[in-house]
Amino acid sequence: MTVPTVSYTDERLPNGLRLVISEDHLVPVVAVNIWYDVGSKHEQPGKTGFAHLFEHVMFQGSRHVAKAEHIALVQAAGGSMNGTTWLDRTNYFETMPSHQLELALWLEADRMGTLLEALSQENLDNQRAVVKNEKRSSYDNQPYGTWQEKLLGHIYPEGHPYHHPTIGSMEDLDAASLEDVAAFFRTYYAPNNAVLSIVGDVDPGQARAWVERYFGPLAPNPAIPAFNPEPLPLTLGGERRETVPDRVPLPRIYVGFRAPTIGDPRLYALEIAAQVLTGGKGSRLHRRLVRDEQIAQDVAMFGLGFSSGPSVFMGWATVRPDSTIEVVEAALFDELARIGKEPISDDELGRAKALIETDELAALQRVSERADRLSMYATLLDDPDEINRQLERYLAVTSEDVRAACAEFLVAANRVVLTYVPADAGTQTAEAA
Amino acid sequence: MNLSDPVEDALGARPVPGTPRPFTFPVAARGRLSGGLPLVTVDLPGRPLVSASLYLPNGAVDEPADEGGATVLAARALTEGTRNRDAVALTEAAERLGASLRAEAGWDSTVVGVDVPAERLGPALELLSEIVREPAFPEREVERLRDQRLNDLLQARVDPARRAEEAFIETIYSTGTPYARVAGGRRETVETLDARILRRAYGRLGDPGRAALIVGGDLRGIDVVALVAPLFGDLAAGGGSVAAQPVIGDGLDRTRVRLVHRPGAVQSELRVGHVGLPRRTPDYHAVTVMAMILGGLFNSRLNMKLREEKGYTYGAGAGFDFRRFAGPFSARAAVNTDATVPALIDLLAELSRIRESVPTDAEMRAARDYLVGVFPLRFETPGPIVGALGGIVTFGLPDDELDRYRPAIDAVTAADVLAAARAHLHLERLAVVVVGDADAVGSDLEKAGIGDVEVVRDEEPLSDET
Repeated sequence: MTVPTVSYTDERLPNGLRLVISEDHLVPVVAVNIWYDVGSKHEQPGKTGFAHLFEHVMFQGSRHVAKAEHIALVQAAGGSMNGTTWLDRTNYFETMPSHQLELALWLEADRMGTLLEALSQENLDNQRAVVKNEKRSSYDNQPYGTWQEKLLGHIYPEGHPYHHPTIGSMEDLDAASLEDVAAFFRTYYAPNNAVLSIVGDVDPGQARAWVERYFGPLAPNPAIPAFNPEPLPLTLGGERRETVPDRVPLPRIYVGFRAPTIGDPRLYALEIAAQVLTGGKGSRLHRRLVRDEQIAQDVAMFGLGFSSGPSVFMGWATVRPDSTIEVVEAALFDELARIGKEPISDDELGRAKALIETDELAALQRVSERADRLSMYATLLDDPDEINRQLERYLAVTSEDVRAACAEFLVAANRVVLTYVPADAGTQTAEAA
Repeated sequence: MNLSDPVEDALGARPVPGTPRPFTFPVAARGRLSGGLPLVTVDLPGRPLVSASLYLPNGAVDEPADEGGATVLAARALTEGTRNRDAVALTEAAERLGASLRAEAGWDSTVVGVDVPAERLGPALELLSEIVREPAFPEREVERLRDQRLNDLLQARVDPARRAEEAFIETIYSTGTPYARVAGGRRETVETLDARILRRAYGRLGDPGRAALIVGGDLRGIDVVALVAPLFGDLAAGGGSVAAQPVIGDGLDRTRVRLVHRPGAVQSELRVGHVGLPRRTPDYHAVTVMAMILGGLFNSRLNMKLREEKGYTYGAGAGFDFRRFAGPFSARAAVNTDATVPALIDLLAELSRIRESVPTDAEMRAARDYLVGVFPLRFETPGPIVGALGGIVTFGLPDDELDRYRPAIDAVTAADVLAAARAHLHLERLAVVVVGDADAVGSDLEKAGIGDVEVVRDEEPLSDET
């Protein structure tokens, strides 16, 4: 099997906007995707949640677009769209019938250039309320909903840009002012801080002309602040534990490790390890915890790659009512130790690679995914061609690479353990280590 | 606005759309294997990841009430072992092909399938055939699946959305009828399931003559018939037991308010609605447009009011869950606790308003243009194309249903939408379910006068229950 190569052009407008175009005429659909090089890691103390709140404001109108009209125009054109914010970036994207490409480009340019002209206290207050409800829905009112905040809080020290979660805190969201929003926009929402990818049923010459027309006149920000956080060691240098009482029927153990920064070959080795450990019914942890010993309800392990410091390798196991936290934890850690001691078998390595290959093939079928990845690799690794190198990077991993990476990172001295326990009279007062 | 401003010069005029490139739903070739199993193939050049699914015509709706959950569990057990291989051996065989086997029962049908790179389609179909033809239902694995389902039900009690869903369907459907429970079954029946019952449930999945094997992807150079005939050719049409027609009982004769107490909850999870419509309702397209305007589009009435105007929620919506028989109609939102009653009042007002007058031209255009325009986006890859063809099998729709879809949507008028709202939204007998802090919202909810409020207090979750 071969995963098809993605061919593309990669250029910069005079104002610094990076433009990536990739043609594919299989279906009459085109994806537009912008990554802004700004995420929650850029937030200042007391202003957490700001990058994400700002993403919401981007749908509240600009000089030529009324509140909520961006989405109305895209949907009426038969398109779909969204925006997402994460630690390293904020992205905005539309998938359109190909004859509606120009509309998507115009909409993105209008808000990149003229957002502040439509900004109002009323709209900010409205979206602040929406985002606070998003936080309640996705975290505060969810079983185990605090794990992300707690895990990041232990893996990165106070003051580090990855210490706090993207959703931020209610207090900081309350404190966000119109002036904060305007300053954030002027600093980060400039063409020279963005990558625009266009993938699909497109005439590249025509697309380029539209991009030059709509984005060309937008002024760059010559003074985007450099982002160079204090480097952290790639391992924690100790174990950290916390017990969290929560309104849950089954205990759950979350485990997180520092891991290599995105682009590091050892991160690919850890991704293969994740596949071998929990990537299906034949995986080691699933077989032992869920199937053979029947002590866990479910188990998962995966990596979260970051670009400005250590990444996270993490997972969880949910404890069955007829088992105990201690038994599940011991089995989990035993398997994590074993994969750092003995190389995985050739069969395990081969199956993991075959599944990763199929996953790549599946993901790259869709123009929206290709556009997002081109933007991602251009933003985080300064090279969109990484889209064509991922598979070879996975295939290059040896069983010894997997063992060595696991021995280096999946160890007690680099580990955060969160134990969620059912909150009742006995555990309400459980200490937080 | 300064006309010499280059930004204004560039952005001042909205672009007009180009000419749409024609899109038609990919052509499906339909035939039957020698025994009578329908075979549908869709050649999609440039799509090397092939999706193959066997649609069996029965699902959880066809199981008796005292075996609730058996069909879902039986489907799940298909990948847990065959006459010759245990679950791990099966999974490993699939993984070596870079393939993933799926087996899932829904309310209406049961789908067993595989996604695999085209050059390995043959061996992947052999695995598919093995789990369909020779499932073993090993006792130990069945018991484990059953226990996992019971644990999942414990988890569902503390998940506000799942708890609301459960309370909602229990309220709108009469007790003991299929849709009054979740498809995976409730504790009382799941506890009784064993390998024998699962085997029986699997045997109920229906006549192969009404099933279909659907294969989509880049099939150039692949003789699909030659691959599948030896595997499925002997499946005989006319076989399989015929399930009794299920009775879908309406549980509402008036509006009922159910408040499920979630101590300290920072949000209330709302569900409002009643028994809806089957997929084959004659005004399906008008109902679809109506639901988009009410609660489907981002700029739907409910989302604009509750989110973009009031900020009560991250998102509000409404829609019909179309099934073989009348599935639920529901409006839904999760709102901050303080906003519980105001949000319910706004939500009920929107349900009422859409029954009062025709939607605006702008609303009609937005809904129709979206549904028609997004059609090609939905069918970019083999999985959704096979899924849409499977829907035709599941619901017994005409073969050209997908070709007729866009013209039918385009033909819906504002009067059709109003008629659909008046015919199918029943404001005099609604279920209003709130999962939230009863101590905080209970008395306001009583005072709101929506209906008699019944407070439901779950037992606190126990960790030592087995």
